[in-house]
Amino acid sequence: MNYIKQVITVSRWEFARFFKPKNEAIGIIIMLIILAVFYLGGKYAFSDKSPKIEVFVNNDIDGALTEILKDDFEVQKLSTERKGDFIAELSVEKNKVLLEKQTGAIVLYAYKNSRDIKKLKNRVDNYHKQIEMQKLGINAEQLASVLSPAPLVESFVYTNDSSKRVILAYFFAALMIMAVFLSFAYQFTAITGEKQLKITEQIVSAITPQVWMDGKIIGITLTGLSSMITYSLLSIIGGLVFFQFTGLPASAILEYLYLPSIALYLPFALMGVLIWNAILAAIASVITDPNNSGKSPLMMLPVVFVLASFLVTRDPDSGLSVFLSWFPFTSATSMPMRWAITEVGIWQLAASFFLLLLTFYFLRKIAAKIFRISILMTGKEPSWSEVFKLMKIR
Amino acid sequence: MSDQEKNTVLKVESISKRFSNVRAVNNISFTVNRGDIFAFLGPNGSGKTTSLRILLDIIKSDSGEIAWYLNGNSNHTPAASQVGYLPEERGLYLDIPILKSLIYLASIRGMDKAEAKKAALQWLERLELADRAKEKLQVLSKGNQQKIQFVASILHKPAFAILDEPFSGLDPLNQELFIEFIKEINNQGTTIILSAHQMQLVEKIAHKIFLINKGEKLYNGNLAGIYELYGNKQIIELRFKSGFNEISLKHFNGAENVEIIDTSKVKLTFGQNSDIKSALSDLAKLEGDFDISSHKPDLHDIFLHLVKSHQL
Repeated sequence: MNYIKQVITVSRWEFARFFKPKNEAIGIIIMLIILAVFYLGGKYAFSDKSPKIEVFVNNDIDGALTEILKDDFEVQKLSTERKGDFIAELSVEKNKVLLEKQTGAIVLYAYKNSRDIKKLKNRVDNYHKQIEMQKLGINAEQLASVLSPAPLVESFVYTNDSSKRVILAYFFAALMIMAVFLSFAYQFTAITGEKQLKITEQIVSAITPQVWMDGKIIGITLTGLSSMITYSLLSIIGGLVFFQFTGLPASAILEYLYLPSIALYLPFALMGVLIWNAILAAIASVITDPNNSGKSPLMMLPVVFVLASFLVTRDPDSGLSVFLSWFPFTSATSMPMRWAITEVGIWQLAASFFLLLLTFYFLRKIAAKIFRISILMTGKEPSWSEVFKLMKIR
Repeated sequence: MSDQEKNTVLKVESISKRFSNVRAVNNISFTVNRGDIFAFLGPNGSGKTTSLRILLDIIKSDSGEIAWYLNGNSNHTPAASQVGYLPEERGLYLDIPILKSLIYLASIRGMDKAEAKKAALQWLERLELADRAKEKLQVLSKGNQQKIQFVASILHKPAFAILDEPFSGLDPLNQELFIEFIKEINNQGTTIILSAHQMQLVEKIAHKIFLINKGEKLYNGNLAGIYELYGNKQIIELRFKSGFNEISLKHFNGAENVEIIDTSKVKLTFGQNSDIKSALSDLAKLEGDFDISSHKPDLHDIFLHLVKSHQL
């Protein structure tokens, strides 16, 4: 039985062990229910069904302002003598608001701040602007001209639709980290579980540790990717729900699904998952009891490196960004981000990807070596120095 | 190449293995022929499992040579499809259906999946577990789990099976059942190495034995040979109905070895040239009420004698 056939057999086994279509379907249904609740709840929250406020003004409030307010609110006059009672009753009459003119200001009395009050303040602001413009002798157009930005015409040699591409790059980075975490959970269960079930010896008498490790990394990566696909589809549905609120057409989401970006981000994300799976498999190999191991916090490593890659967005052409986009532990997310916001040559993309491939090739070899050493170690969990010492001997 | 050499399937020469300060295996050599049931005997920690792991290249020896002749050529490691292995540390996927696990373990040894399924169902039928093929292993009793483990190691019909402590943890009925299984696969052409310390079981099936203690060879040869070498002694067993004088028995005149088994049983070993008549008359003078019986040493006795002599 050749190497490839054995790796395929192990990969399929590991994938089938952890990919549970029934559980996945239940997860999707739960997510859809959450999205539906979010959508309907949001619709309700944004609907204007709450009782409108009633605005009371005292006699000093300008008549012109009162007329403006009448466009949106029910406005009534309130005599000065009743002011005290009115304020005292605000904790009961929660929808009532009083506007009173005092020296140089308008005082607003209400039970609490609300969306309607913001609207009311906005109308008062507009009236105030009109009065000020009249005092200065300028009209609305002149004011708009004063406040408008400088008439700067931009002309760039390198132009792109980077904002959407960056969002997609973030999205892939998030998916990658999710796939890494899911894979890590499976990897942990698979390797430490097999050690605890004492099945390792049976397996390594049939296949080499390298075949087993490669099969595990590929099989579990595929499980992570299947979750990535599931959650991508859910994200698209979530995006459609989001656009319902923003008023944009649902088709706007298609602008984010820029195919060349996906064609670039997907292989980088895939390599990222493979590399982290190889590292995490090596870590899991030396853990005997996950509950009491001092090595368990190492699972946070991928997060640190993925977060570091976000530095690229600050200045994509800085030395640090260039380094991050080449360094194999960060390049899976950093290079797509750089490509989204600055000019990156095809050769750089290809070379960075090749470096990822090369790193994966060697990491899986190291992982298999660590695995080989640690599988038959029983009792005390080996320290890293012990593992590396044994790696040199055998 | 002589007929003897043609018949050899495994040749081990001077292998040694050391773990830190412990010499686990020390310069042992042996040969296994086609069709043999070769028993590795030794007390706990004697180096049996380490030797078997070295044969399968699970761990590397520090020195020595191993040659497998399963496919006509000499190889340092055997092809997975030609070897079956029942490890001392038992373990299978508990949360996966039995049939699935069996098919997977056979398929990584190169067996076709359909063929593996057919063979697995046949074995499950024999074990009266066919109706539980789709159940998870964890729902089976420990004895049945052991049977599944055994099936997993030989399902792919290997030319050579390595069974590390196959009888451990089994009740007497299942021990007999396993003896039948081992004989059956051996009759079908599988050469077998097994390790054990249940001498009465090994006596029933082994053609050859390799006695090991502290990593060193004590005996390597056929079963008849060990009786010829060490079976010419006489053992007298005393079964006391009440207590006995331990001091007077420990220093019993003429006995090569006195073994106090428990509070009512004592075993005395006499050499080939001992005066048994005189010993029996001295025994008759002992205080207390007891039964006396005599027999030639069995494998258990020889094993104890050799191990104790080696430890001195």
